Amino acid sequence: MTATITVDGEPVAAVAGIPLGAVLHARTLALRRTARDDRPRGLFCGMGVCFDCLVTVDGRPGVRACITAVRDGMTVTLG
Amino acid sequence: MMRAAFATADVAVLGAGPAGLAAALAAAQTGAGVHLIDAQSSAGGQYWMQPAAALGGTRTPQTRAGAAAIAAVRAAGVSVHLDAEVWAVFPDLRIVAGTPEGSLEIAARAIVVATGAHDRVPAFPGWTLPGVITAGAAQRLAKLAGVRAGSRVVVAGSGPFLPVVTRALRGAGATIAAYVEAQRPHAGLLAHLARYPERWREAAGLARTVATAAERAHFGWIVTDALGSERVEAVRIAPLARDGSIERARAQTIASIDALVVGWGFRPSIDVTSLLGCAHSYDESAGGWRCDADAADGRTSVPHVFAAGEVTGVAGALPARLAGRLAGIAAAADAGRTAIPPAPERARLRRRLERARAFVAPLNARCAPPRAIDDLAAETTIVCRCESVTKGEVTAACAEGATSVLGAKLWTRAGMGRCQGRMCAWTIARIAAPGDPARAGYNRPRIPIRPVALSIVAAALETGVSHGP
Repeated sequence: MTATITVDGEPVAAVAGIPLGAVLHARTLALRRTARDDRPRGLFCGMGVCFDCLVTVDGRPGVRACITAVRDGMTVTLG
Repeated sequence: MMRAAFATADVAVLGAGPAGLAAALAAAQTGAGVHLIDAQSSAGGQYWMQPAAALGGTRTPQTRAGAAAIAAVRAAGVSVHLDAEVWAVFPDLRIVAGTPEGSLEIAARAIVVATGAHDRVPAFPGWTLPGVITAGAAQRLAKLAGVRAGSRVVVAGSGPFLPVVTRALRGAGATIAAYVEAQRPHAGLLAHLARYPERWREAAGLARTVATAAERAHFGWIVTDALGSERVEAVRIAPLARDGSIERARAQTIASIDALVVGWGFRPSIDVTSLLGCAHSYDESAGGWRCDADAADGRTSVPHVFAAGEVTGVAGALPARLAGRLAGIAAAADAGRTAIPPAPERARLRRRLERARAFVAPLNARCAPPRAIDDLAAETTIVCRCESVTKGEVTAACAEGATSVLGAKLWTRAGMGRCQGRMCAWTIARIAAPGDPARAGYNRPRIPIRPVALSIVAAALETGVSHGP
Protein backbone atom coordinates (compact mmCIF):
# COMPACT_ATOMS: atom_id res chain seq x y z
CA MET A 1 0.00 0.00 0.00
CA THR A 2 1.35 3.38 -0.93
CA ALA A 3 1.30 6.20 1.54
CA THR A 4 1.94 9.89 1.26
CA ILE A 5 3.89 11.52 4.04
CA THR A 6 5.00 15.12 4.45
CA VAL A 7 8.70 15.80 5.04
CA ASP A 8 9.54 19.42 5.93
CA GLY A 9 6.36 20.51 4.14
CA GLU A 10 6.95 18.50 0.97
CA PRO A 11 4.80 15.50 0.00
CA VAL A 12 6.78 12.25 -0.33
CA ALA A 13 5.44 8.97 -1.69
CA ALA A 14 6.33 5.91 0.40
CA VAL A 15 5.30 2.36 1.14
CA ALA A 16 3.20 1.97 4.27
CA GLY A 17 4.81 -0.21 6.92
CA ILE A 18 8.46 0.19 5.94
CA PRO A 19 10.79 2.06 8.32
CA LEU A 20 10.47 5.83 8.04
CA GLY A 21 14.28 5.96 8.30
CA ALA A 22 14.58 4.09 4.99
CA VAL A 23 12.38 6.64 3.23
CA LEU A 24 14.32 9.55 4.70
CA HIS A 25 17.74 7.94 4.01
CA ALA A 26 16.84 7.41 0.35
CA ARG A 27 15.79 11.07 0.09
CA THR A 28 18.44 12.90 2.09
CA LEU A 29 21.31 11.47 4.11
CA ALA A 30 21.44 14.18 6.80
CA LEU A 31 18.45 14.01 9.15
CA ARG A 32 19.46 16.49 11.86
CA ARG A 33 22.34 18.58 13.26
CA THR A 34 24.01 18.09 16.62
CA ALA A 35 23.48 20.57 19.46
CA ARG A 36 27.08 20.69 20.72
CA ASP A 37 29.00 21.14 17.44
CA ASP A 38 26.29 21.78 14.80
CA ARG A 39 27.30 18.87 12.58
CA PRO A 40 25.04 16.80 10.31
CA ARG A 41 23.95 13.31 11.34
CA GLY A 42 22.04 10.62 9.50
CA LEU A 43 20.82 7.09 9.96
CA PHE A 44 23.59 5.02 11.57
CA CYS A 45 22.64 1.85 13.48
CA GLY A 46 19.26 1.43 11.82
CA MET A 47 17.87 -0.64 14.69
CA GLY A 48 16.89 1.81 17.41
CA VAL A 49 20.11 1.72 19.41
CA CYS A 50 22.16 4.84 18.53
CA PHE A 51 19.47 7.60 18.48
CA ASP A 52 21.20 9.46 15.62
CA CYS A 53 18.11 9.45 13.38
CA LEU A 54 15.88 11.52 15.67
CA VAL A 55 13.13 13.46 13.86
CA THR A 56 9.80 15.03 14.80
CA VAL A 57 6.76 12.98 13.78
CA ASP A 58 3.26 14.52 14.00
CA GLY A 59 4.57 17.09 16.47
CA ARG A 60 6.33 14.58 18.71
CA PRO A 61 10.10 15.28 18.88
CA GLY A 62 12.85 12.73 19.46
CA VAL A 63 11.32 9.93 17.39
CA ARG A 64 13.74 7.32 16.00
CA ALA A 65 13.01 7.23 12.28
CA CYS A 66 14.69 3.82 11.90
CA ILE A 67 12.15 1.91 13.99
CA THR A 68 9.06 3.99 13.13
CA ALA A 69 6.79 2.46 10.49
CA VAL A 70 5.49 4.72 7.70
CA ARG A 71 1.79 5.60 8.01
CA ASP A 72 -0.24 7.46 5.43
CA GLY A 73 -0.55 11.13 6.32
CA MET A 74 2.46 11.22 8.65
CA THR A 75 4.05 14.65 9.04
CA VAL A 76 7.82 14.61 9.55
CA THR A 77 10.12 17.50 10.45
CA LEU A 78 13.87 16.98 10.26
CA GLY A 79 15.96 18.34 13.11
CA MET B 1 -5.13 9.28 26.35
CA MET B 2 -2.48 6.73 27.31
CA ARG B 3 -3.78 3.39 28.52
CA ALA B 4 -2.04 0.99 30.88
CA ALA B 5 -2.31 -2.77 30.43
CA PHE B 6 -1.34 -5.35 33.03
CA ALA B 7 -0.79 -9.08 32.68
CA THR B 8 0.77 -11.94 34.60
CA ALA B 9 2.91 -14.56 32.90
CA ASP B 10 4.55 -17.84 33.82
CA VAL B 11 7.31 -16.93 31.41
CA ALA B 12 8.08 -13.54 29.83
CA VAL B 13 10.48 -13.57 26.88
CA LEU B 14 12.28 -10.35 25.95
CA GLY B 15 13.21 -10.25 22.28
CA ALA B 16 11.44 -11.97 19.35
CA GLY B 17 14.44 -13.07 17.30
CA PRO B 18 15.40 -16.72 16.73
CA ALA B 19 16.31 -17.29 20.42
CA GLY B 20 13.23 -15.56 21.83
CA LEU B 21 10.83 -17.24 19.42
CA ALA B 22 12.29 -20.67 20.25
CA ALA B 23 12.11 -19.97 23.98
CA ALA B 24 8.51 -18.73 23.78
CA LEU B 25 7.39 -21.75 21.75
CA ALA B 26 9.14 -24.27 24.01
CA ALA B 27 7.67 -22.68 27.13
CA ALA B 28 4.18 -22.49 25.65
CA GLN B 29 4.33 -26.17 24.66
CA THR B 30 4.62 -27.06 28.36
CA GLY B 31 1.30 -25.30 28.96
CA ALA B 32 2.91 -22.19 30.44
CA GLY B 33 1.33 -18.77 29.97
CA VAL B 34 3.90 -16.93 27.86
CA HIS B 35 4.29 -13.28 26.88
CA LEU B 36 6.78 -12.33 24.17
CA ILE B 37 7.88 -8.68 23.95
CA ASP B 38 9.85 -6.92 21.21
CA ALA B 39 10.63 -3.27 20.49
CA GLN B 40 10.38 -3.66 16.72
CA SER B 41 7.10 -3.51 14.80
CA SER B 42 7.52 -7.02 13.43
CA ALA B 43 8.85 -10.19 15.03
CA GLY B 44 11.86 -12.13 13.74
CA GLY B 45 14.76 -10.09 15.11
CA GLN B 46 17.63 -9.25 12.79
CA TYR B 47 18.17 -12.71 11.34
CA TRP B 48 14.52 -13.42 10.56
CA MET B 49 13.40 -9.85 9.85
CA GLN B 50 10.17 -9.77 7.91
CA PRO B 51 9.79 -7.43 4.94
CA ALA B 52 6.80 -5.07 5.00
CA ALA B 53 3.73 -6.85 3.63
CA ALA B 54 3.22 -4.04 1.13
CA LEU B 55 6.59 -4.74 -0.53
CA GLY B 56 5.60 -8.30 -1.46
CA GLY B 57 7.62 -10.56 -3.73
CA THR B 58 10.77 -10.64 -1.61
CA ARG B 59 10.30 -13.92 0.27
CA THR B 60 13.39 -16.06 0.70
CA PRO B 61 13.86 -19.41 2.49
CA GLN B 62 15.22 -17.40 5.43
CA THR B 63 12.23 -15.04 5.71
CA ARG B 64 9.85 -17.97 5.21
CA ALA B 65 11.52 -19.89 8.06
CA GLY B 66 11.11 -16.80 10.24
CA ALA B 67 7.46 -16.41 9.27
CA ALA B 68 6.86 -20.07 10.17
CA ALA B 69 8.53 -19.64 13.57
CA ILE B 70 6.40 -16.55 14.27
CA ALA B 71 3.22 -18.36 13.19
CA ALA B 72 4.08 -21.34 15.41
CA VAL B 73 4.49 -19.07 18.43
CA ARG B 74 1.11 -17.43 17.82
CA ALA B 75 -0.57 -20.81 17.23
CA ALA B 76 0.84 -22.05 20.55
CA GLY B 77 -1.06 -19.30 22.34
CA VAL B 78 1.83 -16.95 23.16
CA SER B 79 0.78 -13.33 23.73
CA VAL B 80 2.99 -11.36 21.34
CA HIS B 81 3.61 -7.67 22.09
CA LEU B 82 5.33 -5.77 19.27
CA ASP B 83 6.33 -2.09 19.23
CA ALA B 84 6.79 -2.61 22.97
CA GLU B 85 10.03 -1.09 24.21
CA VAL B 86 11.05 -2.28 27.66
CA TRP B 87 12.24 0.62 29.82
CA ALA B 88 12.25 -1.06 33.22
CA VAL B 89 12.66 -4.55 34.65
CA PHE B 90 12.44 -4.79 38.42
CA PRO B 91 14.13 -7.42 40.64
CA ASP B 92 10.73 -9.01 41.36
CA LEU B 93 10.46 -9.72 37.60
CA ARG B 94 7.98 -6.99 36.73
CA ILE B 95 8.60 -5.70 33.23
CA VAL B 96 7.37 -2.29 32.05
CA ALA B 97 7.27 -1.34 28.38
CA GLY B 98 6.08 1.64 26.37
CA THR B 99 3.72 0.83 23.52
CA PRO B 100 1.92 2.96 20.91
CA GLU B 101 -1.23 2.63 23.06
CA GLY B 102 0.43 3.48 26.34
CA SER B 103 2.05 1.31 28.96
CA LEU B 104 2.33 -2.46 29.29
CA GLU B 105 3.30 -4.13 32.54
CA ILE B 106 3.90 -7.86 32.90
CA ALA B 107 4.55 -9.63 36.19
CA ALA B 108 6.46 -12.82 35.35
CA ARG B 109 7.48 -15.90 37.33
CA ALA B 110 10.49 -16.45 35.06
CA ILE B 111 12.15 -14.34 32.37
CA VAL B 112 14.11 -15.36 29.29
CA VAL B 113 16.29 -12.50 28.06
CA ALA B 114 16.90 -12.85 24.33
CA THR B 115 17.74 -9.26 23.48
CA GLY B 116 20.26 -10.11 20.77
CA ALA B 117 23.16 -7.98 19.66
CA HIS B 118 23.94 -4.76 17.85
CA ASP B 119 26.79 -3.59 15.62
CA ARG B 120 30.07 -2.86 17.31
CA VAL B 121 31.81 -0.05 15.47
CA PRO B 122 35.10 1.49 16.58
CA ALA B 123 35.29 5.27 16.36
CA PHE B 124 37.32 6.42 13.35
CA PRO B 125 37.74 9.79 11.64
CA GLY B 126 34.57 10.69 9.74
CA TRP B 127 32.35 7.96 11.19
CA THR B 128 29.68 10.49 12.21
CA LEU B 129 29.18 11.73 8.62
CA PRO B 130 25.76 11.04 7.09
CA GLY B 131 26.13 8.12 4.69
CA VAL B 132 28.38 6.15 7.04
CA ILE B 133 26.13 3.40 8.36
CA THR B 134 26.52 0.08 10.12
CA ALA B 135 26.30 -3.25 8.32
CA GLY B 136 23.21 -4.04 10.39
CA ALA B 137 21.56 -0.82 9.25
CA ALA B 138 22.36 -1.48 5.58
CA GLN B 139 20.91 -4.97 5.91
CA ARG B 140 17.70 -3.63 7.48
CA LEU B 141 17.27 -0.93 4.82
CA ALA B 142 17.64 -3.53 2.06
CA LYS B 143 15.57 -6.29 3.66
CA LEU B 144 12.79 -4.29 5.31
CA ALA B 145 12.36 -1.59 2.70
CA GLY B 146 14.25 -2.55 -0.47
CA VAL B 147 16.28 0.64 -0.01
CA ARG B 148 20.02 0.65 -0.80
CA ALA B 149 22.39 2.34 1.62
CA GLY B 150 23.79 4.31 -1.33
CA SER B 151 24.18 4.07 -5.07
CA ARG B 152 27.98 3.61 -4.90
CA VAL B 153 29.04 1.94 -1.70
CA VAL B 154 32.21 0.81 0.08
CA VAL B 155 31.75 -2.20 2.39
CA ALA B 156 34.42 -2.43 5.08
CA GLY B 157 35.30 -4.15 8.34
CA SER B 158 35.64 -7.83 9.06
CA GLY B 159 33.72 -11.01 9.62
CA PRO B 160 31.15 -13.35 8.10
CA PHE B 161 28.40 -10.71 8.02
CA LEU B 162 30.26 -8.57 5.44
CA PRO B 163 29.48 -10.84 2.45
CA VAL B 164 25.91 -11.21 3.70
CA VAL B 165 25.31 -7.46 3.68
CA THR B 166 27.14 -7.16 0.35
CA ARG B 167 24.64 -9.57 -1.17
CA ALA B 168 21.74 -7.57 0.28
CA LEU B 169 23.19 -4.31 -1.04
CA ARG B 170 23.52 -5.81 -4.54
CA GLY B 171 19.95 -7.05 -4.30
CA ALA B 172 18.78 -3.52 -3.49
CA GLY B 173 20.63 -2.15 -6.53
CA ALA B 174 23.82 -0.70 -5.06
CA THR B 175 27.16 -0.70 -6.86
CA ILE B 176 29.93 -2.05 -4.60
CA ALA B 177 32.86 0.27 -5.32
CA ALA B 178 35.11 -1.68 -2.97
CA TYR B 179 35.04 -4.52 -0.43
CA VAL B 180 37.62 -4.01 2.31
CA GLU B 181 38.15 -6.94 4.72
CA ALA B 182 40.81 -6.63 7.40
CA GLN B 183 41.59 -10.35 7.49
CA ARG B 184 43.58 -12.15 4.83
CA PRO B 185 42.29 -15.50 3.55
CA HIS B 186 43.64 -18.12 5.91
CA ALA B 187 44.26 -21.82 5.42
CA GLY B 188 43.16 -22.52 8.99
CA LEU B 189 39.72 -21.11 8.21
CA LEU B 190 39.30 -23.48 5.25
CA ALA B 191 40.44 -26.45 7.35
CA HIS B 192 37.88 -25.51 9.97
CA LEU B 193 35.13 -25.17 7.37
CA ALA B 194 36.06 -28.57 5.89
CA ARG B 195 34.79 -30.22 9.07
CA TYR B 196 31.27 -28.81 8.60
CA PRO B 197 29.93 -29.96 5.19
CA GLU B 198 26.48 -28.59 6.04
CA ARG B 199 27.97 -25.09 5.82
CA TRP B 200 29.82 -25.48 2.49
CA ARG B 201 27.07 -24.31 0.19
CA GLU B 202 26.43 -21.18 2.27
CA ALA B 203 30.15 -20.33 2.47
CA ALA B 204 30.73 -20.86 -1.26
CA GLY B 205 27.75 -18.67 -2.14
CA LEU B 206 29.02 -15.84 0.07
CA ALA B 207 32.56 -16.06 -1.36
CA ARG B 208 31.10 -15.92 -4.89
CA THR B 209 29.06 -12.83 -3.95
CA VAL B 210 32.20 -10.94 -2.96
CA ALA B 211 34.16 -12.10 -6.01
CA THR B 212 31.48 -11.04 -8.48
CA ALA B 213 29.77 -8.10 -6.78
CA ALA B 214 32.64 -5.81 -5.85
CA GLU B 215 34.55 -3.68 -8.37
CA ARG B 216 37.63 -4.25 -6.23
CA ALA B 217 38.30 -6.32 -3.12
CA HIS B 218 41.08 -5.74 -0.61
CA PHE B 219 41.95 -8.38 1.99
CA GLY B 220 44.25 -7.31 4.82
CA TRP B 221 43.20 -3.67 4.38
CA ILE B 222 41.27 -1.31 6.63
CA VAL B 223 39.26 1.89 6.14
CA THR B 224 41.08 4.61 8.08
CA ASP B 225 38.94 7.67 7.27
CA ALA B 226 35.54 8.62 5.94
CA LEU B 227 35.95 11.89 4.04
CA GLY B 228 33.42 14.62 3.24
CA SER B 229 31.96 17.78 4.71
CA GLU B 230 28.17 17.33 4.90
CA ARG B 231 28.09 13.64 3.92
CA VAL B 232 30.55 10.87 3.09
CA GLU B 233 32.12 11.42 -0.34
CA ALA B 234 35.24 9.24 -0.22
CA VAL B 235 37.18 6.88 2.03
CA ARG B 236 40.86 6.35 2.75
CA ILE B 237 42.00 2.73 2.96
CA ALA B 238 45.37 1.37 4.01
CA PRO B 239 46.97 -2.07 4.23
CA LEU B 240 47.69 -3.76 7.54
CA ALA B 241 51.31 -4.77 8.02
CA ARG B 242 52.19 -8.27 9.24
CA ASP B 243 52.76 -6.85 12.72
CA GLY B 244 49.21 -5.49 12.70
CA SER B 245 50.08 -1.81 12.28
CA ILE B 246 48.48 0.43 9.66
CA GLU B 247 50.75 1.20 6.68
CA ARG B 248 49.49 4.74 6.16
CA ALA B 249 52.24 5.47 3.62
CA ARG B 250 50.53 3.02 1.22
CA ALA B 251 47.04 4.48 1.72
CA GLN B 252 44.67 4.93 -1.21
CA THR B 253 41.56 7.04 -1.66
CA ILE B 254 38.33 5.67 -3.07
CA ALA B 255 36.34 8.66 -4.32
CA SER B 256 32.84 9.33 -5.65
CA ILE B 257 30.93 7.18 -3.18
CA ASP B 258 27.76 8.04 -1.27
CA ALA B 259 27.81 5.39 1.44
CA LEU B 260 30.30 3.55 3.63
CA VAL B 261 28.88 0.41 5.20
CA VAL B 262 31.02 -0.57 8.16
CA GLY B 263 30.74 -3.89 9.99
CA TRP B 264 33.09 -5.26 12.62
CA GLY B 265 30.74 -7.86 13.99
CA PHE B 266 28.28 -7.47 16.83
CA ARG B 267 28.13 -6.80 20.59
CA PRO B 268 25.72 -8.58 22.91
CA SER B 269 22.88 -6.23 23.97
CA ILE B 270 23.25 -6.64 27.73
CA ASP B 271 21.20 -3.72 29.06
CA VAL B 272 18.44 -5.88 30.59
CA THR B 273 20.73 -8.55 32.02
CA SER B 274 23.09 -5.94 33.50
CA LEU B 275 20.13 -3.98 34.90
CA LEU B 276 18.98 -7.19 36.63
CA GLY B 277 22.48 -7.68 38.06
CA CYS B 278 23.28 -10.89 36.18
CA ALA B 279 26.96 -11.84 36.11
CA HIS B 280 28.76 -11.02 32.87
CA SER B 281 32.16 -11.90 31.48
CA TYR B 282 34.34 -10.47 28.74
CA ASP B 283 35.08 -12.42 25.57
CA GLU B 284 36.52 -10.35 22.74
CA SER B 285 35.71 -12.97 20.09
CA ALA B 286 32.07 -13.26 21.26
CA GLY B 287 31.57 -9.49 20.99
CA GLY B 288 32.86 -8.25 24.36
CA TRP B 289 30.74 -8.24 27.51
CA ARG B 290 28.19 -11.06 27.49
CA CYS B 291 25.77 -12.44 30.01
CA ASP B 292 26.96 -15.60 31.76
CA ALA B 293 24.44 -18.38 31.18
CA ASP B 294 24.57 -22.08 31.98
CA ALA B 295 25.43 -23.91 28.75
CA ALA B 296 22.81 -26.56 29.55
CA ASP B 297 19.73 -24.43 30.15
CA GLY B 298 20.54 -20.71 29.94
CA ARG B 299 20.25 -20.09 33.68
CA THR B 300 21.93 -16.81 34.71
CA SER B 301 23.34 -15.91 38.13
CA VAL B 302 20.00 -14.30 39.08
CA PRO B 303 17.18 -16.65 40.16
CA HIS B 304 14.38 -17.12 37.60
CA VAL B 305 16.29 -15.15 34.95
CA PHE B 306 17.49 -17.05 31.87
CA ALA B 307 19.38 -15.81 28.83
CA ALA B 308 19.68 -17.22 25.32
CA GLY B 309 21.13 -16.25 21.98
CA GLU B 310 23.50 -13.40 21.18
CA VAL B 311 23.14 -11.75 24.60
CA THR B 312 25.20 -14.67 25.94
CA GLY B 313 27.89 -14.19 23.25
CA VAL B 314 27.60 -13.63 19.53
CA ALA B 315 27.33 -17.01 17.82
CA GLY B 316 24.63 -16.77 15.13
CA ALA B 317 21.09 -17.97 14.61
CA LEU B 318 21.42 -21.75 14.91
CA PRO B 319 22.94 -21.79 18.42
CA ALA B 320 20.43 -19.06 19.35
CA ARG B 321 17.46 -21.24 18.38
CA LEU B 322 18.77 -24.29 20.25
CA ALA B 323 19.73 -22.29 23.35
CA GLY B 324 16.37 -20.49 23.21
CA ARG B 325 14.50 -23.79 23.21
CA LEU B 326 16.49 -25.10 26.19
CA ALA B 327 16.03 -21.82 28.10
CA GLY B 328 12.29 -21.78 27.37
CA ILE B 329 11.92 -25.30 28.75
CA ALA B 330 14.01 -24.48 31.85
CA ALA B 331 12.10 -21.25 32.50
CA ALA B 332 8.77 -23.07 32.25
CA ALA B 333 10.01 -25.69 34.71
CA ASP B 334 11.18 -22.88 36.97
CA ALA B 335 7.69 -21.37 36.84
CA GLY B 336 6.26 -24.66 38.07
CA ARG B 337 5.34 -26.40 34.81
CA THR B 338 5.92 -30.15 34.94
CA ALA B 339 5.00 -31.23 31.39
CA ILE B 340 8.47 -30.54 30.01
CA PRO B 341 10.19 -32.60 27.28
CA PRO B 342 11.88 -35.78 28.59
CA ALA B 343 15.58 -35.76 29.52
CA PRO B 344 16.80 -37.60 26.36
CA GLU B 345 15.24 -34.92 24.14
CA ARG B 346 16.88 -32.16 26.15
CA ALA B 347 20.21 -34.00 26.02
CA ARG B 348 19.91 -34.24 22.22
CA LEU B 349 19.25 -30.48 22.02
CA ARG B 350 22.35 -29.85 24.13
CA ARG B 351 24.53 -31.98 21.86
CA ARG B 352 23.28 -30.09 18.79
CA LEU B 353 23.96 -26.81 20.59
CA GLU B 354 27.50 -27.91 21.44
CA ARG B 355 28.21 -28.75 17.80
CA ALA B 356 26.75 -25.45 16.57
CA ARG B 357 28.85 -23.51 19.08
CA ALA B 358 31.98 -25.49 18.15
CA PHE B 359 31.51 -24.34 14.56
CA VAL B 360 31.21 -20.68 15.48
CA ALA B 361 33.88 -20.18 18.17
CA PRO B 362 36.98 -20.64 15.93
CA LEU B 363 35.28 -18.59 13.21
CA ASN B 364 34.71 -15.75 15.68
CA ALA B 365 38.30 -15.96 16.89
CA ARG B 366 39.59 -15.75 13.31
CA CYS B 367 37.37 -12.76 12.54
CA ALA B 368 38.15 -10.75 15.67
CA PRO B 369 38.93 -7.13 14.77
CA PRO B 370 42.65 -6.42 14.35
CA ARG B 371 44.50 -4.48 17.03
CA ALA B 372 44.79 -1.60 14.53
CA ILE B 373 41.19 -0.52 15.19
CA ASP B 374 42.51 1.04 18.42
CA ASP B 375 44.75 3.32 16.34
CA LEU B 376 42.04 4.66 14.02
CA ALA B 377 40.58 7.53 16.06
CA ALA B 378 42.52 10.83 16.16
CA GLU B 379 42.41 13.07 19.24
CA THR B 380 39.79 15.23 17.47
CA THR B 381 37.62 12.25 16.47
CA ILE B 382 34.25 12.12 18.19
CA VAL B 383 33.92 8.86 20.13
CA CYS B 384 30.61 9.50 21.94
CA ARG B 385 28.14 10.27 19.17
CA CYS B 386 25.32 11.35 21.52
CA GLU B 387 27.28 14.01 23.42
CA SER B 388 29.89 14.79 20.71
CA VAL B 389 32.78 13.94 23.06
CA THR B 390 36.18 13.53 21.36
CA LYS B 391 38.84 10.92 21.94
CA GLY B 392 41.10 13.74 23.21
CA GLU B 393 38.59 14.60 25.96
CA VAL B 394 38.39 10.95 27.03
CA THR B 395 42.18 10.59 26.89
CA ALA B 396 42.54 13.67 29.10
CA ALA B 397 40.04 12.28 31.60
CA CYS B 398 41.96 9.00 31.69
CA ALA B 399 45.21 10.90 32.32
CA GLU B 400 43.49 12.48 35.33
CA GLY B 401 42.52 9.10 36.72
CA ALA B 402 39.43 7.78 34.93
CA THR B 403 40.30 4.17 34.20
CA SER B 404 36.85 2.72 33.55
CA VAL B 405 33.95 3.42 31.20
CA LEU B 406 32.06 4.69 34.26
CA GLY B 407 34.89 7.07 35.16
CA ALA B 408 35.12 8.38 31.60
CA LYS B 409 31.35 8.91 31.63
CA LEU B 410 31.36 10.92 34.86
CA TRP B 411 34.37 13.00 33.72
CA THR B 412 33.34 13.73 30.12
CA ARG B 413 29.64 12.77 29.63
CA ALA B 414 30.84 10.17 27.08
CA GLY B 415 28.30 7.35 27.30
CA MET B 416 25.78 9.49 29.20
CA GLY B 417 23.59 10.31 26.20
CA ARG B 418 20.50 8.64 24.88
CA CYS B 419 22.31 5.52 23.68
CA GLN B 420 23.77 5.05 27.19
CA GLY B 421 27.09 3.92 25.74
CA ARG B 422 25.70 1.17 23.54
CA MET B 423 27.64 2.64 20.61
CA CYS B 424 30.73 4.15 22.27
CA ALA B 425 31.47 2.07 25.39
CA TRP B 426 33.41 -0.46 23.33
CA THR B 427 35.76 2.26 22.03
CA ILE B 428 35.95 4.08 25.37
CA ALA B 429 36.95 0.89 27.17
CA ARG B 430 39.87 0.56 24.77
CA ILE B 431 40.98 4.14 25.51
CA ALA B 432 40.54 3.79 29.29
CA ALA B 433 42.29 0.42 29.53
CA PRO B 434 44.58 0.02 26.50
CA GLY B 435 45.28 -3.59 25.65
CA ASP B 436 42.87 -4.89 28.29
CA PRO B 437 39.40 -3.40 27.68
CA ALA B 438 37.79 -5.86 30.12
CA ARG B 439 39.47 -3.94 32.95
CA ALA B 440 37.41 -0.82 32.04
CA GLY B 441 34.18 -2.64 32.94
CA TYR B 442 30.76 -1.84 31.52
CA ASN B 443 28.01 0.65 32.30
CA ARG B 444 25.25 -0.61 34.60
CA PRO B 445 22.19 0.99 33.01
CA ARG B 446 19.69 2.99 35.00
CA ILE B 447 15.91 2.95 34.74
CA PRO B 448 14.61 4.01 32.25
CA ILE B 449 16.98 1.90 30.15
CA ARG B 450 15.43 3.50 27.06
CA PRO B 451 14.14 7.07 26.79
CA VAL B 452 10.42 6.98 27.53
CA ALA B 453 7.69 9.62 27.21
CA LEU B 454 6.49 11.04 30.52
CA SER B 455 2.90 10.27 29.50
CA ILE B 456 3.84 6.57 29.36
CA VAL B 457 5.51 6.71 32.78
CA ALA B 458 2.38 8.42 34.11
CA ALA B 459 0.16 5.71 32.62
CA ALA B 460 2.39 3.03 34.15
CA LEU B 461 2.26 4.67 37.57
CA GLU B 462 -1.52 5.03 37.47
CA THR B 463 -2.34 1.33 37.22
CA GLY B 464 0.84 -0.54 36.38
CA VAL B 465 3.65 -0.48 38.87
CA SER B 466 1.17 0.00 41.74
CA HIS B 467 0.35 -3.71 41.31
CA GLY B 468 3.72 -4.51 42.82
CA PRO B 469 4.31 -5.63 46.39
